[in-house]
Amino acid sequence: MTNLFAANLIHTEPLWRAIDQPMALKVLVATVGVALIAWELWWFLGRHGGGVAARESAAGVQEITITVDGGYAPSRIQMKAGRPLRLSFHRIDPSGCVAQVIFPDFHKTLDLPLEATTSLELPPTEVGIYPFHCGMNMVRGVLEVVDRSAKS
Amino acid sequence: MNAPSPSPPCCHAEGPAASADGMERELARERTLLRRKVSVAAVLTVLVVLSSLPHMLGEGHHSFLPPWFTSPWTQLLLTTPVLFWCGRDFFSGALSAFRQHSADMNTLVAAGTGIAYLTSLFSTAFPQVLIAEGLPTDVYYETAAVILTLVLLGRLLEARARGQTSEAIRRLLQLQPPTARVLRQGEPVDVPVSMVVVGDLVQVRPGEKIPVDGDVIEGSSWVEESMLTGEPTPVAKAAGDTVIGASMNRSGSFTFRVSRVGGDTVLAQIVELVRQAQSSRTQVQRLADQVVGWFVPVVIALAIAAFVVWFLISGNAVLAMLFLVSVLVIACPCALGLATPTSIMVASGKGAENGLIFRSAEALETAGGLHTIVLDKTGTLTHGQPEVTDFERLPNGLLPAGTLLALTAALESRSEHPLAEAIVTYAQSQLKDRELPAVEGFEAVAGRGVQGSIGGQHVRVGTPRWLEELGIDSAALQPLVERLEAAACSVAAVVVDGKIEACFGVADPLKPTSAAAVAALRRLGLQVVMLSGDAQRTAKVVAAQVGIERVIAEVRPADKASVVKRLQEQGEGPVAMVGDGINDAPALAQADVGIAMGTGTDVAIAASDITLISGNLAGVPAAIELSRAAMANIRQNLFFAFAYNVAGIPIAAGLLFPLTGWLLSPMIAGAAMAFSSVSVVSNALRLRNFRPAPLPVAAS
Repeated sequence: MTNLFAANLIHTEPLWRAIDQPMALKVLVATVGVALIAWELWWFLGRHGGGVAARESAAGVQEITITVDGGYAPSRIQMKAGRPLRLSFHRIDPSGCVAQVIFPDFHKTLDLPLEATTSLELPPTEVGIYPFHCGMNMVRGVLEVVDRSAKS
Repeated sequence: MNAPSPSPPCCHAEGPAASADGMERELARERTLLRRKVSVAAVLTVLVVLSSLPHMLGEGHHSFLPPWFTSPWTQLLLTTPVLFWCGRDFFSGALSAFRQHSADMNTLVAAGTGIAYLTSLFSTAFPQVLIAEGLPTDVYYETAAVILTLVLLGRLLEARARGQTSEAIRRLLQLQPPTARVLRQGEPVDVPVSMVVVGDLVQVRPGEKIPVDGDVIEGSSWVEESMLTGEPTPVAKAAGDTVIGASMNRSGSFTFRVSRVGGDTVLAQIVELVRQAQSSRTQVQRLADQVVGWFVPVVIALAIAAFVVWFLISGNAVLAMLFLVSVLVIACPCALGLATPTSIMVASGKGAENGLIFRSAEALETAGGLHTIVLDKTGTLTHGQPEVTDFERLPNGLLPAGTLLALTAALESRSEHPLAEAIVTYAQSQLKDRELPAVEGFEAVAGRGVQGSIGGQHVRVGTPRWLEELGIDSAALQPLVERLEAAACSVAAVVVDGKIEACFGVADPLKPTSAAAVAALRRLGLQVVMLSGDAQRTAKVVAAQVGIERVIAEVRPADKASVVKRLQEQGEGPVAMVGDGINDAPALAQADVGIAMGTGTDVAIAASDITLISGNLAGVPAAIELSRAAMANIRQNLFFAFAYNVAGIPIAAGLLFPLTGWLLSPMIAGAAMAFSSVSVVSNALRLRNFRPAPLPVAAS
């Protein structure tokens, strides 16, 4: 019902006319709108719990499996400094966007075949925050390397 | 934060091609499915648009379409598969992302089209509710269908274009032939390359590709290595020479012994290094990354705000909904996310095609903004294979030439210095098969010379400066030194029992492209500095021959890094150092950009940021030009992506409406979004046309 070029609509369509709404409805819409914005920003940008700590194997290698499905689950991974880490990605999301995961600080790209688990070993690393992301740079995760003595 | 150093290239026992194959197949399968979805969506969308035509054109137009076809229920029937089959991935992706507290492209598309669809569904199922409220019973199925089809089409075009960004790697991987002709019990047998092991003897016939790396043991030929080194001229190969896997044999036949297979081959190392570079990110990208992180949630907030504001202004919920949808679907985080990586992908691939291996995106970024470039003389400007050009006995010398040559050769044969090697080669050519005397108490004095005792005589071979430091009278040597240094020769004097007997003039011939490459570097606006261990006069003559004015001479190997550091401290940075990668490793590491001149087989030179596989200095200006082109491309992409979103979102939100009466249809917004990321990728693909500028004719 819309025209491709909306300028026409303004003059021809009754749709664009102003409708007098009761003040109560306007207040309700404004309140719900503001609440929705606040909730949405909290949901997407807020910090929801700390990272998931990688478990340590007998050989001293830290290990964690990450499910790739629209995002990385978990997306915030805590590991101890100075120990190697084996990350296993299990990809169930068919979207081509997540077919690769890139670790820019390690200069590593890992191809993730669909419905399979692919592993990557990272060398022992210093304390810091090392982000990783999909090939399109939209889906993101973070490796949080914490001090060896700190609680994970 | 200290970034960890990149790990060394990993090894694929089966060769570099296999690991990429599966991924290629999956991407191809995805593209086929995407094509099918775009086709189905396009057909259904055309029908939905046709169905909505009578409403679009207004009541007065005569409709030639049957009423059942223009019914909202028919539009619902046609739109549902477009959204939930063709566009299923958007919705499932958005839902999965939502559960992970993340929002992306899928969130925006799913929310935009989903809201248009649900509003229309409500209007179709419960028109009486809207009529009672005084609102029109309009439906927006065609809006949802058109947006989704355009976004799908955009994604298909983008997938194709993104495939092309990694074309260089694919082409490199395809260079390796699948089989090798290996000699087994003296008989040639064709075996898959993955079965070839180090030490195997492999036969290569004219016109065949060389399967793996090795050393020629028999036969000779011309080999084309341009696909790996960027050097167009074929290289002569004979017994003792190294051949690189994936290069093309031209005329002759030869047999070589395999020296490297699988992930150790030059080809595999190049592919791994290019992949590493493509996995890294530039400083400028970090800014874009931060923006992408909060982009989608902010856009959703803006869309909700647009709805609220327009509802408050007009009281018209349908109008407000259209603004909300427009804002959601015009925003394009992908353009921002793709702006830098696609340019890096194409540029590093293009570099590999030209024999320029960038180790990281940062190297590509820094090389574009260099101020000073330091060229090591030996092996960079010159061949690094010095030859004796003069052997002069001093007029008052006591010993015969043959004896002096024998003493010198005996002493120098214990040294590993390149000049020593040249002197030994010369002396042996003069002495024929004469046996060299034994040396006792050999000592090498770094940057000075060598000394030892031979048959009771104390012999020294070294620089005139050393002799001066030792207090040896060298007045008779001076005219010779002046003449030889003026001819760009290094001088090594022979001293027997404290008396100077003779001297050698050793010259390292310039590479044919050095002067032109220096001129090209100057044309790029760089300060060119030559670094040399030679005497001041010799170094200046060499520098003048290649057109360099600034010379830092008499620098010992260990001091090269501190010279680079001093230049950086003097504010002449960013500084690049060009050297051979082995002796110059500390200086390469100290420089902002370390450029290693490869020898054709050493690709993964640890200290270097850029490796020139061919060892041709002409690669240095080419690398800098490529960096500049890539950085310009990234800036264009980022500007476009930022400008697009900064301009597009307010227009979609109706900000211009009060001033100009402009409103943006959600369908136009969807089209703009779909093609903005395609534009970014297409712009990056322009880098595929990069050609280094031809070298200028050198002034010398």
